[in-house]
Amino acid sequence: MSAPLALRVATHLMVLDGVVALFLGGLLGAVGALVVSAAVAASWWHEPVRDRIAAMPRGSQAIVVLVALASAFDILYVAETMLDGLVRLLVFLLVYRLFMRRTLRDTRDAGFLSFFMLVAAAPLTLSVAFFFVLLAFLVLGIWTLMLYHILAEAERATKPRELPGLGRSLLVLSLVASAATIAATAVFFFVIPRVGQAALPLRSQVGRMVSGFSDRVEMGAFGEIETDSAVVMRVHPAPGTPGPGPLGTLRWRGIAFDHFDGRAWTARDPQRANLGRSRYGQFEVSWFRGLGPMAAYEVYLEPLGTDILFAAPRVLRLGVRTDTIVVDDMGSISVSTPSARLQYVVQSELERPDFAERAEHRELLDAAALTRYLQLPPLPPRIRALAQEVTAGSRDEVAAARRLTDFLSTRFRYTRVLERQTPLDPVEEFLFVRRSGNCEYFAAALAVMLRSVGIPARVVNGFQRGEWNPYGHYFMVRLSDAHSWVEAHLAGRWRTLDPSPRGEPELAAGPSVITLYLDALRMRWYRYVIDWSLQDQVAAAFKVRQATLMWRPRLAAAARGWGDARPILAVLVVAVTVGAVVFWSRGHRGTVRRAGARTPPFYARALKTLARRGLRPEPGETAREFSLRVVQRLPGCASPLGRLTSEYERVRFGAAAIGPETLAELDRFVGQLRTSSRHS
Amino acid sequence: MTIRGVSWRLAVWPYRTIWPTRDGWWCLVAALGLGFGAINTGTNLLYLLVCMLLGLIVVSGILSERSLRGLRFTAVVPDDVFAGRPAPLCARVVNRKRWSTSYSVTIEALGPDGAETRVYLPRLLSGEERLVTWETTFAARGPHPFPAIRISTKFPFGLFLKAGHVPLRAEILVFPSVSGLGPELRRTVGTAAPAGIRRRGRGHDLYNLRDYRPGDDPRLIHWRSSAKTGALTVRELEAETAVDTRLVLEGRSGDADAVERGLSRAASFVVHLIRAGAAVELLGPGVFVPLGRGLAHQRRLLTALALWTPAAAGPARGGPRSSIREIRVRLG
Repeated sequence: MSAPLALRVATHLMVLDGVVALFLGGLLGAVGALVVSAAVAASWWHEPVRDRIAAMPRGSQAIVVLVALASAFDILYVAETMLDGLVRLLVFLLVYRLFMRRTLRDTRDAGFLSFFMLVAAAPLTLSVAFFFVLLAFLVLGIWTLMLYHILAEAERATKPRELPGLGRSLLVLSLVASAATIAATAVFFFVIPRVGQAALPLRSQVGRMVSGFSDRVEMGAFGEIETDSAVVMRVHPAPGTPGPGPLGTLRWRGIAFDHFDGRAWTARDPQRANLGRSRYGQFEVSWFRGLGPMAAYEVYLEPLGTDILFAAPRVLRLGVRTDTIVVDDMGSISVSTPSARLQYVVQSELERPDFAERAEHRELLDAAALTRYLQLPPLPPRIRALAQEVTAGSRDEVAAARRLTDFLSTRFRYTRVLERQTPLDPVEEFLFVRRSGNCEYFAAALAVMLRSVGIPARVVNGFQRGEWNPYGHYFMVRLSDAHSWVEAHLAGRWRTLDPSPRGEPELAAGPSVITLYLDALRMRWYRYVIDWSLQDQVAAAFKVRQATLMWRPRLAAAARGWGDARPILAVLVVAVTVGAVVFWSRGHRGTVRRAGARTPPFYARALKTLARRGLRPEPGETAREFSLRVVQRLPGCASPLGRLTSEYERVRFGAAAIGPETLAELDRFVGQLRTSSRHS
Repeated sequence: MTIRGVSWRLAVWPYRTIWPTRDGWWCLVAALGLGFGAINTGTNLLYLLVCMLLGLIVVSGILSERSLRGLRFTAVVPDDVFAGRPAPLCARVVNRKRWSTSYSVTIEALGPDGAETRVYLPRLLSGEERLVTWETTFAARGPHPFPAIRISTKFPFGLFLKAGHVPLRAEILVFPSVSGLGPELRRTVGTAAPAGIRRRGRGHDLYNLRDYRPGDDPRLIHWRSSAKTGALTVRELEAETAVDTRLVLEGRSGDADAVERGLSRAASFVVHLIRAGAAVELLGPGVFVPLGRGLAHQRRLLTALALWTPAAAGPARGGPRSSIREIRVRLG
């Protein structure tokens, strides 16, 4: 492939890459992207169009004026945002440039313009696909720039004949340059301080609206999402936090409901309070009681159309990029930016499964709370009767709650088929007719039955633990993990009760290895690119400092001859490798001839004498000019240096042989020069 | 710092100038604008694009240095360089890097008269050697430094122009300017030969007229005679005669121009006489070149004239005077 053809191919690919970026950013729809791509492809055969436009009197000017007017109208009246209008203008300019190109520079300029497509898409996408778009753009862009540079310079020097065969070696170099640029980009990216204040927010990412996490949830709301395998949350346990084994029954608590009207659960008039940051920069949600194991983890929550934060109960401390959070009296936590993708860190005190707690930690509910959590709609008597029958003979409320939970989880069947079969109330139909349902029915039935036997209870919506991704070391929570369970106030504490058979970790075949790898990549993209923050930079710097401090005594110990010698070995290996690379890259010394003739020994001695006084010939200075300069500084040297310079010139240019007598005389002059230079 | 220390520092970190091209300015402005956008929106992907541009700039610096680094220049000095005449100068450039190729290197030679010569090398493979030639004119005789060479490149992206000067420790000895001798002078030099050796040859004076024969140089046709006789007539030239000559430089004045004119005339005599086959001796204040003939001797004579300085002049040196023709040249 010739160099100009390669440049053309690379430029077109860059533009198509930019179109993909616009698509990822939502600035071009699928149809729009296809149309623009087709136009870009068609511009490969641009000559007929270009010539026709050029043949029209003032054709190109007319097009530009029309487009300017249309663009102004678009930005003012049609476009959803100014960015949309500008992007449409950019796309037009790009396609126009491709069709009207005449020179290499026009082709290259199209590549430059496509960079702004990436710029436009960057604030609007979070997709990991943007990473690949960027990589492709970088490789193609570097290849284009190099090719254009060589072609343009050769054209300027009118030596294009020397270009054949250049392409392959340049391609290899461009790939090396791309790798180096990626490395340099990574270094800059992680080091440049994040001082952004988000003063100019662009169009925000609007997430899909997911039912089940609003203030009012109809029974069966989870039905439509329980088959959706989209990953909505990734939870990365901090070092020291137990992994997937010990956290088998972990749930990510979202919103709690206290009121049931027979068909829907609502959070009715919860006491909400705004919570500000503590002096440590985090939100202190509740006090540490020392009753359960601690867990710290980082959550990446995709936009769900809800302002709820999901976390393992009981949340002690929370770090999220917002000024305030809202906490209600049922422990639900929310933020004021529901449409944005969220990243937050949480510390939780997990619940002990054995309910064993000391009496002094008990919290009693007041009358209003009891009324609130024992509220029930008018229910068929047989529901209460069933609850009493199941709990008959229980020694306390804890045992009664366990019996009811076991009753539901063992006698009823989990299903996602939620078709109504009777006009009865949903809970009644679930308990007496269908005897199967999804987690919402199980939770609602348990809450109603608990309340009917006088145990305060509430329904909680959230997510199950999710799958453990061993390649990224995090829990992968999908929409299908959406779950409902019950919290009952037992023995002075709110306890989690999950009657749904689905509440147990599922043993079904997990995702494929490739899926896990890709998701781990996505997680790293979010963790290290999208959400890389000043706090992360400080933490990374702190880790580097710690590592340095740890190495210092180990090096000292190794230097003393005892302890671990690996650090010194590592330093030696690096030094030897660098030395070898430097040695081998020194090059073809043998092929170079020495410049100029050898300096006669008498003149070399004279130069050495003067060098001790700081006088050395400058590059491009003749012996005569040097002599004049020396005499200005050391006037006493004028006579011997003049003679030495004169003889040097005779030898240097005339290749005159010097006899022994003259040599002895010159040695005397060198001695005189030494003496004069000392005394001057 | 010792000389060795300076060399080491220059080898590791040679002096370079770097300046953005027009595209480079656009790149910097784009990076600045994007940086502003990144800070104001707090968008990490904008930061990523800014960092990509910064990375490009860094890699551009490394690769351009890689292109310029490891190029070794050797001056190739011509044998005879005369003041006031264009001289072909050469520099041999070798890529001494073991593996890497140097791309897109421009070599600029700046002559003493300020004229600039540019040579563009799209590629110089590892170990490859190129000879770069250009013409330059030295105004004055004497030793001159080899013209400075500037190497520059916009490689790899055309965003920045990086340049550096290559010190070439070579000197060129420029002989005094040589001009053709006028007819009178030539006659003085040429007719000094003894009578009876006048013969046909390739000189300048007319020897005879004869009819044109095929193969004759058309430039020698004597048109006036041809017109008169109606047949083509050509000139036959007289062979130049040469006798052994002693050039004596004499007289001294403070007028530097007069000295230079005298030296130039002496050099012209030297070239004319040696070319005519004469043996020439040079004698003057502080200078003596014994009798000799041939091109090597011509070089010795011209070197002596090129290096002669009034300051170094002393009493005329030389051996026993032989009885040969003397041409005296006044230095002022």
